[in-house]
Amino acid sequence: MEVSFMSYILLAIILFSMGIIGVISRKNIFIVYMSLELMLNSINLMLVTLSKHFGNMDGQIMAMMVIAIAAAEAAIFLSLIVALYKLKHSINIDDYNTLKQKGTL
Amino acid sequence: MKYDDIIYLLPLLSIGVGAVVLMLLSPIKSFSINRLSWVTLFFLVFAFGATALNFGHVYSATPFKDIFSSMLITDTFSGYFSSIIITGGIVTVLVGSHYFEKANMLRGEVFSLLLFSVFGMMLLVQTTELLTAFIALEIASISLYSLMGFQKNNVKRVEGAFRYLVLGSIAGIMLLLGTTLMYAGTQSTNILEIAKYISAHPHANTTLVITGGTLILITFLFKIAAFPFQNWSMDAYEGAPLPITAFMASTFKVAIFGFILRFVLVDFHELKSIWNDMLFYIAILTMIYGSLLAVFQTSLKRMLSASSIVHTGYLLIAFVSISNIGESAATSIIFYLIAYFLSSMGAFGMLSYIASDDHLRVTYEDFKGFAHIRPYMAAMMSIFMLSLAGIPSTIGFIGKFYIFVGAIQAGYTVLAIIGIFATFISVYYYFKLIALMYFYPSSEMTNVPPLKGMTPLFIGIMALLIIWGGIGNTLISYFPGIDFLIDTARFAYQSLFM
Repeated sequence: MEVSFMSYILLAIILFSMGIIGVISRKNIFIVYMSLELMLNSINLMLVTLSKHFGNMDGQIMAMMVIAIAAAEAAIFLSLIVALYKLKHSINIDDYNTLKQKGTL
Repeated sequence: MKYDDIIYLLPLLSIGVGAVVLMLLSPIKSFSINRLSWVTLFFLVFAFGATALNFGHVYSATPFKDIFSSMLITDTFSGYFSSIIITGGIVTVLVGSHYFEKANMLRGEVFSLLLFSVFGMMLLVQTTELLTAFIALEIASISLYSLMGFQKNNVKRVEGAFRYLVLGSIAGIMLLLGTTLMYAGTQSTNILEIAKYISAHPHANTTLVITGGTLILITFLFKIAAFPFQNWSMDAYEGAPLPITAFMASTFKVAIFGFILRFVLVDFHELKSIWNDMLFYIAILTMIYGSLLAVFQTSLKRMLSASSIVHTGYLLIAFVSISNIGESAATSIIFYLIAYFLSSMGAFGMLSYIASDDHLRVTYEDFKGFAHIRPYMAAMMSIFMLSLAGIPSTIGFIGKFYIFVGAIQAGYTVLAIIGIFATFISVYYYFKLIALMYFYPSSEMTNVPPLKGMTPLFIGIMALLIIWGGIGNTLISYFPGIDFLIDTARFAYQSLFM
């Protein structure tokens, strides 16, 4: 069965919305991070689909670049999560409230 | 031909090479922090010199067209912004090496990360392609996240970095989504080609292009901390070490404005009035919210962070007036950016230099009678405060003057009135510091660092530049004064359309 152009775009839109909802509503920092990756990958899907639709390679090259950037972001995300866990012994986002208290420099 | 191209790319190349060299040098034990900071300064000053080679005339070139396929452009505009960004890097290194040494967190990698960040910002103002802009933004941001969380035993730093990371990633994703929609609408991500497409198809359906442009503008408003997207900035600025806060609040803002001005002026020449209503209200709300936030702060660092939101509001006034009076509004933005950069970088730099030895001088109260202990430092601090408030005979006044006059010429009198009103309020929180420093008896002498060495000298030069920018020409004839800076800003604008 032939899958149409619009269904790919629709899938990308659904994945992107899931990502946004995940970032906004979830408390676990790993799930927040995974939601961000989901958003990036839904954009990748959109780029590749558009590239196929237009018949030029630009979109696929852009998708490769985005994957590289996402990998760099993953490195810094995971290292910060580890550092936060060592300090706070928690991965719940509600426990990170140091900045709300009055602090010094 | 090739020789010229290399000259044009030299600033960017030297910063990039410097970042890699410093990363390789940093694990070597025999290279002390002091030596590494000299190497960093060497690369930064070299890049500044290479940028200065092309000062003073209008040019526009796409170096190595066959390799970069015109994704990079070097013109007077990018040269102007690059020199501001490099100066920001120099001040951050000078202040930061002192601050981090005392805070006992300095490792060689800090300098490498800082140069990577400068590299990303310079790439951002030189790019004419949206995906390259995304990559440049991420290079700059990712280095900043790591710099913020570098002190990984301090909960505040790591937490601030994490918040900025989550929200900054969402902003980056918005930019990417905007790029994708642009690509869907015009089959290209090159700004110049998109502009050609829009003018060639005036009656085509531009929904995708407009939606994409709106998303890119949202990223921009987020990164400059405009009203609905400002909440991250107080946390991030509060969490970061002071020199990094200075770098983020002044230099990064300049780089973002450099990119978005090119984007809006070149790409959306015909469409940009669509966003005027939105930007009009955002400018008003940003100024009001920032002023309210700044009035109630007790910590100087938080006050400066909040007041940087107000300055974003002033810049947005000129940004709105671009659609009616293109050239003079854009020139006033370019000029105000350097005025804001000098004052804000100087104030933050001075503050972190003072706070580096004793971590006690953080609130207004701590500065009571400061002028009796360190009269010259207090004088410099006062100059920065006067310039931030926009008092005549400083460069901040000239910048605000052009912006408000431009707004009235463009027919946005309401914006000018609210801007002037916000300036009145700002006098309260800036002058409170001056009054506390001068009109109170001297407090006990704590470990304030002495006024010697490179760092105070450079900050002093910035204070002199502020005065020179404000009164320059009237004192010494035949000496380049304020006209020089305004002409440079105008050249920068003209080079966009070559």
